[in-house]
Amino acid sequence: MKICVLVKEVPDAAVEKRMDSNSMRLDRSGEKNLNPFDTHAIEAAMQIKEGGAVDVEEVVAVTMGPESAVRALHKAVSLGADRSVHLTDDALADSDVSATGYALAQVLKSESPDLVLLGQQSDDGECYTIGAVVADHLEMPSLTQVIKIDTAADKLTCERQAEYGYDTVEVTLPAVISVGDAINEPRYPSLKAIMGAKKKQLDSKGTGDVEIDASKVGADGSRTRVLAINPPPAKQAGEIIEDEDTNETVEKIVAWLDERKLIA
Amino acid sequence: MSTLELNLHPILPDAEEQMLRETVYAITSSYGQAYTRSLREEDRPPTELWDELAGKGYMGVNIPEEYGGGGLGMLALSAVGEELAAAGCPLLLIVVSPAIAGSILTKHGTEEQKERWLRGIGDGTTKLAFGITEPDAGTNSHNLSTSLKPSEDGGYLLTGQKTYISGVEDADAVLVVARGRNDDGSLGLPSLVIVDVDAPGFTRQEIPMAVKGADKQWTLFFENVEVEEERLIGGFNGGLGPIFDGLNPERIMGAAISTGVGRRALDQGAQYAREREVWGKPIATHQGVAHPLAESKIELELARLMTRKAASLYDAGAKGAGEASNMAKYAAAEAGISCVDNAIQAHGGNGFALEYGLTDMYWGVRVARTAPVSREMVLNYVAEHSLGLPKSY
Ligand SMILES: Cc1cc2nc3c(=O)[nH]c(=O)nc-3n(C[C@H](O)[C@H](O)[C@H](O)COP(=O)(O)OP(=O)(O)OC[C@H]3O[C@@H](n4cnc5c(N)ncnc54)[C@H](O)[C@@H]3O)c2cc1C
Ligand SMILES: Cc1cc2nc3c(=O)[nH]c(=O)nc-3n(C[C@H](O)[C@H](O)[C@H](O)COP(=O)(O)OP(=O)(O)OC[C@H]3O[C@@H](n4cnc5c(N)ncnc54)[C@H](O)[C@@H]3O)c2cc1C
Repeated sequence: MKICVLVKEVPDAAVEKRMDSNSMRLDRSGEKNLNPFDTHAIEAAMQIKEGGAVDVEEVVAVTMGPESAVRALHKAVSLGADRSVHLTDDALADSDVSATGYALAQVLKSESPDLVLLGQQSDDGECYTIGAVVADHLEMPSLTQVIKIDTAADKLTCERQAEYGYDTVEVTLPAVISVGDAINEPRYPSLKAIMGAKKKQLDSKGTGDVEIDASKVGADGSRTRVLAINPPPAKQAGEIIEDEDTNETVEKIVAWLDERKLIA
Repeated sequence: MSTLELNLHPILPDAEEQMLRETVYAITSSYGQAYTRSLREEDRPPTELWDELAGKGYMGVNIPEEYGGGGLGMLALSAVGEELAAAGCPLLLIVVSPAIAGSILTKHGTEEQKERWLRGIGDGTTKLAFGITEPDAGTNSHNLSTSLKPSEDGGYLLTGQKTYISGVEDADAVLVVARGRNDDGSLGLPSLVIVDVDAPGFTRQEIPMAVKGADKQWTLFFENVEVEEERLIGGFNGGLGPIFDGLNPERIMGAAISTGVGRRALDQGAQYAREREVWGKPIATHQGVAHPLAESKIELELARLMTRKAASLYDAGAKGAGEASNMAKYAAAEAGISCVDNAIQAHGGNGFALEYGLTDMYWGVRVARTAPVSREMVLNYVAEHSLGLPKSY
């Protein structure tokens, strides 16, 4: 089995997110890091590989992003991926979700994986959608919010976190699966893995290398246009109930909920 | 080689060092300051944290790769030390074991000694404490009186007392500085011996300390403790060179830990100042609160830079490593104290409540003004060696 994991470089969690009012895009100029949600996808791939139920030949980390995204790939291989692919091209800048999904699908086609894993969301765009877009282009089944994967030769049994409870779904391979962060506790890289990261194969590809139709990507190829950006409306200050006497506090909370007809 | 020809490390961390820092910080943060405190309450060493970091190769990053370490020198080990402290778990054993004992063994150990001791330090499974200070010989090591006397069977007998020795409760052995007892009874040059913590004739007593770190301090008593020849590093009366090679790594680590604690305190102080409102707006809007924190930040970054320089010079084997290590230790101790003190001030009364953790940090950085080498002795060193002023001690 061959597993491709989609990983994204995002602004570091410690950096406060800010919109650039000129470009109307997220300001991505500060410190960047591997999308934390994607470390769960890499860990899931490693657990399938190490689990022994199926034979995994390789785990390949794939990203689309500017030059700096190489760091996210180094981190991905330090967490266990065997090699990585970097799709990078000026023509791709300013791609929206559907253009990004199309471009990533083209890279994946050139790799022909049996399983594509990705994080549930990016820490910056937070669209939760790339998995579905990629699966559509690859004509593969897509599952989201998966928090448990049982592996057999040509199919997976997955548990999805649904709004009420859990779905158990069987899916035949090849498939695209986005994992929830409850699926595992990602490992920390060892010193050896960090020092060895730059030695693992990293292929840099442009749009021409994976037959991307340039008219379908970049600002012009994107079908969304950002017309305006506005800050979210300020939230009303909540009401804090100090817990002095727990019985009294519970009564106050129940009264508050009751007033708003939130409990029967 | 002139310093200009040296290929020194860049002043900013490279990608690998950043990942190393990030990883050590993340692992340590999952334990955090509460863990350090619980160790004292439960009277046990930081085994889980040490083993998790050691298992991934982070406790011997400076030890040569051929002995199971990371081969990355003091620059990397000081990064580990800083991140541990910044994440709330400063460990003194990382100063004495990989930095002091590891550096000494790397340069002066015999092949057998490296196999026996350095390999374990490299993968973090062996820990050595370091004992030089005596009740009457701290700053003035000419007064050392712990003695090593050749015995009839070809070995040696160690007798004497050490004090303020850190981490013995969690160590396998102690690297002890003693002086050879000559035939005429006089004391000779220093010798360096490795003594197992459970060697017959070796007892110890805990010193109750205000410092509430993960490691304890001990007074050690040696009474005719038998030491075999193979436990001497540099041979009988040959310890001076090896000891000197352990001092700069010790200072660099002292500096790294102080800057780590300072970083933590300052982050916490700044966050508190942004959020705490006293006059209807955050106290950070008063320059009386903001400026001291800004000053501490400048001191801290200068000290971090000097620590980096010291580690880089040491790793390159360059002249100037001693001066830079002393200056880094000095600057980092002062910066660490300033960061914690200003963070406490910004916290008002909360600065003194155990809940906020700043009092734990206070004694941790305050120690650095005195140990491993005092502020006064660094000033003596700089006056004499950097400025050519007369020796003042
Ligand atoms: C008009 C417009 C212009 C934009 N321009 C840019 C731009 O120039 N640069 C930019 O970074 N964003 C840009 N964006 C945002 C960009 O479209 C989204 O970030 C991107 O499509 C992925 O969506 P997401 O981040 O919300 O991913 P989600 O759907 O939330 O992510 C789910 C998972 O998909 C995978 N994934 C997501 N993106 C990538 C990627 N690039 N490579 C590999 N795996 C990935 C990860 O595994 C992630 O966990 C633009 C958006 C719009 C609307
Ligand atoms: C928490 C902690 C951990 C320690 N861990 C270890 C350890 O693991 N191993 C170890 O060997 N030691 C350890 N020490 C001991 C430490 O290194 C000594 O305390 C330190 O070197 C000072 O020595 P001293 O206590 O004997 O002070 P003294 O030598 O008695 O000095 C007292 C004061 O006089 C000043 N002074 C002395 N001479 C001069 C002079 N000529 N000019 C100006 N000022 C002077 C000193 O700077 C100091 O301020 C530790 C100490 C502490 C507090």
